[in-house]
Amino acid sequence: MDWVKIWTFFFFASLSVFACLSIVVTIGGFFDIRSLFKD
Amino acid sequence: MDIDFAELGFGTNFGILDWCIVVGYLIAIVSIGVYIRKYIASATDFMVAGRGLKTFLAIATMIGTEMGLITVMYSAQKGFTGGFAAFHIAFAAAIVTLLVGLSGFIVVPLRRLKVMTIPEFYEKRFGRNVRILGGTILAFSGILNMGMFLKAGAMFVFGVTGMHSWVHLKIIMTVLLGMVLLYTTLGGMVSVAVLDYIQFVVLSVSLVVASVLSIRFLGWTNIVDTVMEGKGMAGFNPFDEAGFGWTYVVWMFFLGLVSCAIWQTAVIRACSAKSTQIVKRIYVLSSVGFLIRFLIPYFFGIAAFVFVFNTTALREVFFPASGEADADLSLLAMPIFLSRILPTGFIGIISAGMLAAFMSTHDSYLLCWSSVLTQDVVAPWFKDGLSSKTRLLLTRIFIVTIGLFILIWGLWYPLGQDLWDYMAISGAIYFIGGFSLLAFGLYWKRASRVGAYLSLFSAFFAILGLTPVQETFSGVLAPVKRLLGLPPEEVISSAVVGLIVLATAVVLMVVGSLLFPDKGQNSYHAEREES
Repeated sequence: MDWVKIWTFFFFASLSVFACLSIVVTIGGFFDIRSLFKD
Repeated sequence: MDIDFAELGFGTNFGILDWCIVVGYLIAIVSIGVYIRKYIASATDFMVAGRGLKTFLAIATMIGTEMGLITVMYSAQKGFTGGFAAFHIAFAAAIVTLLVGLSGFIVVPLRRLKVMTIPEFYEKRFGRNVRILGGTILAFSGILNMGMFLKAGAMFVFGVTGMHSWVHLKIIMTVLLGMVLLYTTLGGMVSVAVLDYIQFVVLSVSLVVASVLSIRFLGWTNIVDTVMEGKGMAGFNPFDEAGFGWTYVVWMFFLGLVSCAIWQTAVIRACSAKSTQIVKRIYVLSSVGFLIRFLIPYFFGIAAFVFVFNTTALREVFFPASGEADADLSLLAMPIFLSRILPTGFIGIISAGMLAAFMSTHDSYLLCWSSVLTQDVVAPWFKDGLSSKTRLLLTRIFIVTIGLFILIWGLWYPLGQDLWDYMAISGAIYFIGGFSLLAFGLYWKRASRVGAYLSLFSAFFAILGLTPVQETFSGVLAPVKRLLGLPPEEVISSAVVGLIVLATAVVLMVVGSLLFPDKGQNSYHAEREES
């Protein structure tokens, strides 16, 4: 089992997923807060 | 501890601008919290995290509250000492959280019971006395578990700002405790979703940017090659006995279950969700948060290891010829590394976000353990209960007492092992018994009061996983070491201690319940069958 490749893929895949999730949640969260204050 | 890294040529980039950012951010975030609480108090239901929040805000709240300074510190230390192999802990946490979300194991039946604390479940299932004993053990274990929080937070400030005297560390710890107590009395901010969102944005952006800057500064190939040179395959393969080994990996999968389904703060999250379907959804989405909260700090620890290993002056300090660096020094590696590679201004932002998270973590834990002591340990002794005024006074006394304890404990206790392992073992005093009572209490009709008592008491032996405790009782433990094939001078790993105590607690629960069954039908299971 090539642990170097496994962890390299695991790290970059997780970091990419988290970066995308952060962008989506930041934008979506902003609109959620806006509607929260509207309510 | 009195090592001046600036004299070694490693001054910090943390400057006046960063101090201004940290102070300004903390004042702003506390002021917003106080403002929201004071002027929008009538709208609490809109603001409380986890109740009726929309999806994106719920995710931000969930991840924002999971990423604290303490998590970053103990995880970075694990990355520093374990290398890439430490990633298996993040993997285990994510997989187990996902499985709990898909199956609803423990959290769904707990949500149905509408309990808000674990001792409350103990009373419903096993009676009042088990609640008092369980509450006492939970508070003891939880307070011991947070005993090193203050020191870990102070070590971050100490390392990142370039201080170098042991006296400075003591002063920082005292100032941080003062800030935490002031913050808690102002009402804290833990439950204000808007602030959790701000924290999420600041921390997620700064953690991702700091990761990219670390890779740019060191180079990925250099990182991999240096870990291979410094740690060999044990730095990559978690099953390698020269590194973590099989027992540690199994222990980490159990810890993954504990941190998402059995630890008190996780239970509160599960039980305050609107429905059992939402509990499951929260856990499935949480798995990404549980993965990242560990993974990025592990990487910072690995990067700090590479930075230290490739620098002769630092290498002599951290890896002296006489052996491994002590636990305090390996905690310092990550903040020193970040203070060197992050630009002025940005380091202030990341430090401010971390310190705000640090205060919020303390706030929620201080309230959590002091209310467990008040509600589950003291209140059940009074037939008519306690008046709300007495409860409030008691909670405040406990908050200050716990605060002083963690200051003294942090200054006095010789860590002697990775902070993560200290936290796992100190928490195990509660969660091994907690797991046994929850799993058998919820899913096995015949689980009895005697089995519960035996299980709770046996979990106390987990304390033998703490290095200083083992050193104190080395004579008593000699036969156990012989049985495990260990030389007398070697420490039994905390994972082995944890797994042996876990197996003992489970066996005692089964044997105790079969030999001493409860008289009459258990009301909890009777209610369940009726429904």
